[in-house]
Amino acid sequence: MKRRQGWLFFIIFLLTFSVYLLINYPLQLGLDLQGGSQLTLQIIKEEGKVTRDELEAVNSVIDKRVNNLGVSESNLQTLGADQLILELPGEQNPLVASRVLGKTALLEFRTQKEGTSSDLKSLQLQRLSIKELIEQYSFAEKSQNNDNFLKAIQDDLKNIEQELNYSSTSNDLYGKLIEIKKYVDKEIANLFTKTDLSGRDLINAGRRQEQTNSNWEVLLTFSNSGGEKFAEITKSIAGTNQLLAIILDGESISEASVGNQFASTGITGGSATISGNFSAENARELEVQLKGGSLPLPIEIVETNTIGAMLGSKNILKSLYAAISGLIFVGIFMIFNYRILGFVSVLSLVLYGFFNLAIYSLIPVTLTLPGISGLILSIGMAVDANILIFERIREELYDGNTLTRSIDSGFQRANSSIVDGHITTLLSCFVLFLLGTNFVKGFAATLGIGVLISLFTSLNCSKTILRFFTTYQSLRQKNLYLPRNNFSN
Amino acid sequence: MKYNLELIKNKKKIIGFSTILILFSLLGIFYSTFNTSYKKPINLGMDFVGGNELRIERVCEDECSKFSPDSVLENLRETSKNNKFSNNIKLQFQNNSKLISIRTPYLTIEESNNLISNLDNIVGPLNYESKDSRLIGPKLGKRLLTNCVTSLLVSLFAISLYISIRFDKKYALLALLALFHDLLIVFGIFSWLGIILSVEVNSLFAVSLLTIAGYSVNDTVVIFDRIRENLKSKKEGYNETIQLSVNESFRRTTFTSITTLIPLLSIILFGSYSLFWFSLALSLGIIVGSYSSILLAPSLLLKD
Repeated sequence: MKRRQGWLFFIIFLLTFSVYLLINYPLQLGLDLQGGSQLTLQIIKEEGKVTRDELEAVNSVIDKRVNNLGVSESNLQTLGADQLILELPGEQNPLVASRVLGKTALLEFRTQKEGTSSDLKSLQLQRLSIKELIEQYSFAEKSQNNDNFLKAIQDDLKNIEQELNYSSTSNDLYGKLIEIKKYVDKEIANLFTKTDLSGRDLINAGRRQEQTNSNWEVLLTFSNSGGEKFAEITKSIAGTNQLLAIILDGESISEASVGNQFASTGITGGSATISGNFSAENARELEVQLKGGSLPLPIEIVETNTIGAMLGSKNILKSLYAAISGLIFVGIFMIFNYRILGFVSVLSLVLYGFFNLAIYSLIPVTLTLPGISGLILSIGMAVDANILIFERIREELYDGNTLTRSIDSGFQRANSSIVDGHITTLLSCFVLFLLGTNFVKGFAATLGIGVLISLFTSLNCSKTILRFFTTYQSLRQKNLYLPRNNFSN
Repeated sequence: MKYNLELIKNKKKIIGFSTILILFSLLGIFYSTFNTSYKKPINLGMDFVGGNELRIERVCEDECSKFSPDSVLENLRETSKNNKFSNNIKLQFQNNSKLISIRTPYLTIEESNNLISNLDNIVGPLNYESKDSRLIGPKLGKRLLTNCVTSLLVSLFAISLYISIRFDKKYALLALLALFHDLLIVFGIFSWLGIILSVEVNSLFAVSLLTIAGYSVNDTVVIFDRIRENLKSKKEGYNETIQLSVNESFRRTTFTSITTLIPLLSIILFGSYSLFWFSLALSLGIIVGSYSSILLAPSLLLKD
């Protein structure tokens, strides 16, 4: 009896500790419960597998970019060997993040090849007309009865395609325009030769509004060696008709001449500006990308989930209803069939709920919808063990054994089959956790934790509570344990 | 309260019933593979094929004005001029026209935002706080599918291994037979649901199959344990002892199934819509699972 009393105090201690944990370390809610966006980024590698180092490198670049973007409370983690998951809680638009993160942002400085002046001129002209078409398109899109307008843009585009000897493959007009612009930017980049100056030589990036018009420019600050390289390169082409191009991801974003006055020393001072007609937004995005450095491998955004905040709180409420009504109906069922024993199992279930939640805040487990369903499902499974034990106790009672003896041997004999029976469920959870997606992991984690805790609550806690009850003479009548009408047989 | 299931008398009926269920499932799977637009054994959802799914509520006073989905679609095509979804877009109004749900092929975030703002112009204002949007690239979908199938196979293998270590051959084989019987029937029912109601299965369906596998085996293990125990100690005939064991564990098995079904029913009734089909699949699995462990597996143990 002394030992059982020890258990009772231990259980009360655990319960108090759980409540303390839950008050001081509230549960972490997943995005489907609090609202927000989740982006899955896939690292693209043509040959071979993504190594751990590469994953780390990509992770750190993305991390820097996310931080520089200034999104609050974002969370970035790796998933498997070649994926990253970025969570943006609240009403933050994933669009900007996706634009900034998706680009490799490999910055290069190139000098013009000899004898390409006329080619460059005609490409630059075509780029100008495409830009104009894009502007016209965004204007046309907003106006009504724009069919003729769009038709005209389409015809112009066809002419440019003919001149370029390139036909676009996109489905819609806007896609085509963007595709052609990219093609021209790439063609321009091809007219230039690589130098050894690149985005790696930057130590900082910034942006400011140009003084003459409303366009923005991006400021680059080179490291010492980068500054020297830049001076060297500008010196070599100063005063010639060769231009210097700034290339981002293989597309030229700006071409500039270097004046004769730099012929002796090159452009010194370790900084440069890119003025390529940036809008405020574009300038900021480029700044963030350059600050974070270029990605060692390209990435692609393969999944985006967005849940509104209101829907999130609705989901919490619905889950709460489901959990509580499940608990109540299971409780009614147990008390109806097992009387005092049923009441004991309800008490252990309540303990079970508290312990589970406490473990979630301790580990911590982020609670998601599938996670909650795992928890609710495990309520049913937690009672399983109790039913096994109670059935044994009933059999012992029917056989005419005393109450204490029946309880003892009931717990003893059911022990092995309970542990045994939970193994297959734990096996499934384990596999799910290892192989599942983020979504599935939540379910596997809560169900697995639930099954483990239920072993403690349904074996130990219910035994202790039952022992405590049976110390009272008034609670030791057999008919409190067996439905009366069956007692006669 | 003694139970008296006449297992021996009804052996043929039980096996016949299961055969019909299995044939019914196979029929659904074959029909679905050859005679539907998707040509797959089961209607694979967004998670596995990629795409864009959007649910959003409208802001309305009192009652929402009615729109016909076709006219809204017509309007959307007109304004969006995006060929990606011009032919392949589904739109539904639910909840008295309050809730709009849309399915299209995979869109980028930008395209999806455009779609929403176009939608806002046509049937707006929309309540952005109620938005539920999922964009899944086709590449990821394929990967998820392989992932799910691998997890299923690995865990079935692990369970089989566990059972064959724990029981001798005959018991192990029958427990596995019961397990595949349960999984096949749940799979078949969802094939039919896909054919008739265009219900789609997502990664949570794979999760439910895995959970059913663990649960179904658990039930069978308990009954087989009882049979083994009784065969050692009781002096009655072989068939009678099996029938007795089943009756002895009948209460326990049905009760545990009921206590597991109750929380699932509460999720179906009160829980979030995204858990509806998941809980339904689990409930079906638990019902079929208890049937196969109480009636089918022991019947197969009986000698003629």
